[in-house]
Amino acid sequence: MQVFKLCIKVINKNKYLLLVYVVIFLVISFTLSLTAVREMETSTSFKPAKTEIALINEENTPLINGFRAELAKVATFVDIPDETEALQDALYFRQVSCIIRIPQGFTEKFMNGENVQLGKISIPNSIRNVYIDLCIDKYFNTARLYVQNMNGITQQELVQYLKKDLYDTTSVEMIAKGEKTSVTNLNYFFNLFAYPMLSIIILGMSTLMLIFNDKDLKMRNSCSPISSTNISMQFVLGNLTFTFVSWLIMVLSCLLLNFKSIFDFNTVFLVISSFVFAFCCSGISFLIGNLVKSKDAITAVNNVVTLGMCFISGVFVPQEAIGSSVLKIASFMPTYWYVKANNTIAKLTRFTLDTVKPVLYDFLIIIAFGLAFFSVSLAIRKKYRSYT
Amino acid sequence: MFIHIFTYRLKCLLRDYEGIFWTMLFPLILATLFNMGFSNLNSAEMFNPINIAVVNNESYRQNQSFKQTLEKVFTGDDRLFNLSVVSREEADEMLKDNHIDGYIIAEQPIKLVVSRSGIKQNIIKSFIDNYMHTFSAISNILEKDPGKLQSLINDIESKVKYSKEVSVTNAEPDNVLIYFYTLIAMACFYGGFLGMGEVSDVQANIKPVAARINTAPVHKLKTFFYSSAASIIIHLTEMLILLAYLVFALKIDFGTKTSYVLLTTFIGSIAGFSFGAFISAIVKKYEGFKVAVIVSVTMLCCFLAGMMYQDMKYIVATKVPILSYLNPVNLLTDAFYALYYYDTLTRFFTNIVILTGFIIVFCSGTYLIIRRQKYASL
Repeated sequence: MQVFKLCIKVINKNKYLLLVYVVIFLVISFTLSLTAVREMETSTSFKPAKTEIALINEENTPLINGFRAELAKVATFVDIPDETEALQDALYFRQVSCIIRIPQGFTEKFMNGENVQLGKISIPNSIRNVYIDLCIDKYFNTARLYVQNMNGITQQELVQYLKKDLYDTTSVEMIAKGEKTSVTNLNYFFNLFAYPMLSIIILGMSTLMLIFNDKDLKMRNSCSPISSTNISMQFVLGNLTFTFVSWLIMVLSCLLLNFKSIFDFNTVFLVISSFVFAFCCSGISFLIGNLVKSKDAITAVNNVVTLGMCFISGVFVPQEAIGSSVLKIASFMPTYWYVKANNTIAKLTRFTLDTVKPVLYDFLIIIAFGLAFFSVSLAIRKKYRSYT
Repeated sequence: MFIHIFTYRLKCLLRDYEGIFWTMLFPLILATLFNMGFSNLNSAEMFNPINIAVVNNESYRQNQSFKQTLEKVFTGDDRLFNLSVVSREEADEMLKDNHIDGYIIAEQPIKLVVSRSGIKQNIIKSFIDNYMHTFSAISNILEKDPGKLQSLINDIESKVKYSKEVSVTNAEPDNVLIYFYTLIAMACFYGGFLGMGEVSDVQANIKPVAARINTAPVHKLKTFFYSSAASIIIHLTEMLILLAYLVFALKIDFGTKTSYVLLTTFIGSIAGFSFGAFISAIVKKYEGFKVAVIVSVTMLCCFLAGMMYQDMKYIVATKVPILSYLNPVNLLTDAFYALYYYDTLTRFFTNIVILTGFIIVFCSGTYLIIRRQKYASL
């Protein structure tokens, strides 16, 4: 097992470089999970969705105050200075979904039955915009009925009526589907996991291969009494050991950050999924290590391969947000199937053979990818050897 | 002498494939990936008619006014809902399979059944609320004056829209663009590798080639300027290729002020080059270490400018505004952003002036450090 032992020695020497990746991954995942949890919150009772808006109020009348109170049910008010650039920035970076300006003299005109409108700056056609519009129109259309049909109604009376009318809301029944926040969160974690996993394994393996592929060393090894198949197999074993250890470190740290859901069935499946994927990464790294000849080229190839695969298969951006034609290309990559399997697992609520079947198919595809990468690399090794 | 050094330097640089990869190919690949990954990113926030169902029971069939109200919102191009009228069991099934976002049971009072509380479900609820509130208002009014029935019916028919879009700029707030703007900024600062190379190549303690150049009977500063000219020309060309690729192939919107966009790219390229030269001059270590410093500083600046998480740019600008002016990558990104999004040029010029300040600091810093460096033994 000389070759295997040497593999472990080389990896051990480079461990700090590889650990940098692990640390970066953990920091990024941690920050992202902090921001992501807030948006995915689900619960058993129906909650009004709130959206951030900026309300610039140039009037202070009972009608407008009533409107503000009504708007507060669907919106959180964000304080932004009334300057064009500050408002534009807030909208661009989605700190607010719209900016509403109540112009001077609005109430007076409204009470006289004139046609008036609030000024609004929003993201065109956005769903939050529709939501706020509904709320605005609801309030003022109901108010209009009173103004037009009750002569001489005062603002105070009007607001009293509106308050009573708008108090009742539709009763909503929630059917539990059992989506768990912690699982969606973990799903995101494991999807993201594909990037550092690929990077670390490719970097580690290629460093190893470069040393072994050194011409002089290779020639010396060729005349040793160990058969070349034996060397190759020890190499594969070294590769898999390294993969397993890096996988273990990352999964453990991943679970430590999300310790609440360790005992879920979903988590168990996610861990299995990442393991299957790690095997495939191992195959990819073996192939790259066999093809690339210089250290500088490895960084380049590593970046292009990992970023490329991760970007288009939904590791960084959710798969639903990626165009269908891009996803078609992505389906030729193992990362796509890995993310797909994870997303399916996160949605599972019952674990029977029937429900788990699609996930198992995805696993098989990933394993097949891994085997294919290994066989191609072994074939290439053999071919190169016969040249020398 | 200029032509000699310049042409040979140009040849050297063009044959340095790794350099070309990082300064040109990598940004191009990243741009393509950004485009593939982010093309639909905003689709989640766009409104599409919500799929709902209504349970086809006796009370729904008899409730004419509710039927009519529903009809108004599920027809036409700007409809709110796609409606299917089904039995309760079917509705349940559809909800479970995520074919609809909720279903309505038109009893007294009207009930909504959903499986989660998201914004779509709230829109459905808001719509039913509206119907109920109108009803409540009508009964209040009729209680006071039963003769108003006809005029009320007319008023309900004519719904008024109470908000008007008053856009302050022609540009849409398309926030995916910021990723591409930071990408150009990053590519500009990857030009730092070229700047670094130029300085290293005259530092005899770093490279053997530099040692040879130092022994040649040409003024060192002249050699440095001549070969830097070659580097800058190459980097500028690379940036123009990237810009052309973004504009013509990926159709990224840069607004209408093309000449200013070119000016920004030009200044960005110089800033990146001088940044690399400056780092190379102050970091007195081997080349790999210099590369690591340039990459990590650039990446940190890119992160703060919003390349990995775009809200970061806003957070920095509102919480620690001074940092957004001290970050050259952000200044560059912000210049592109200001050109695209604002009608006025004040913010753009502020960015450009500060960026020019950075260039002056980098260049004079580099000059002061590398001038008159002498080696006792080569």
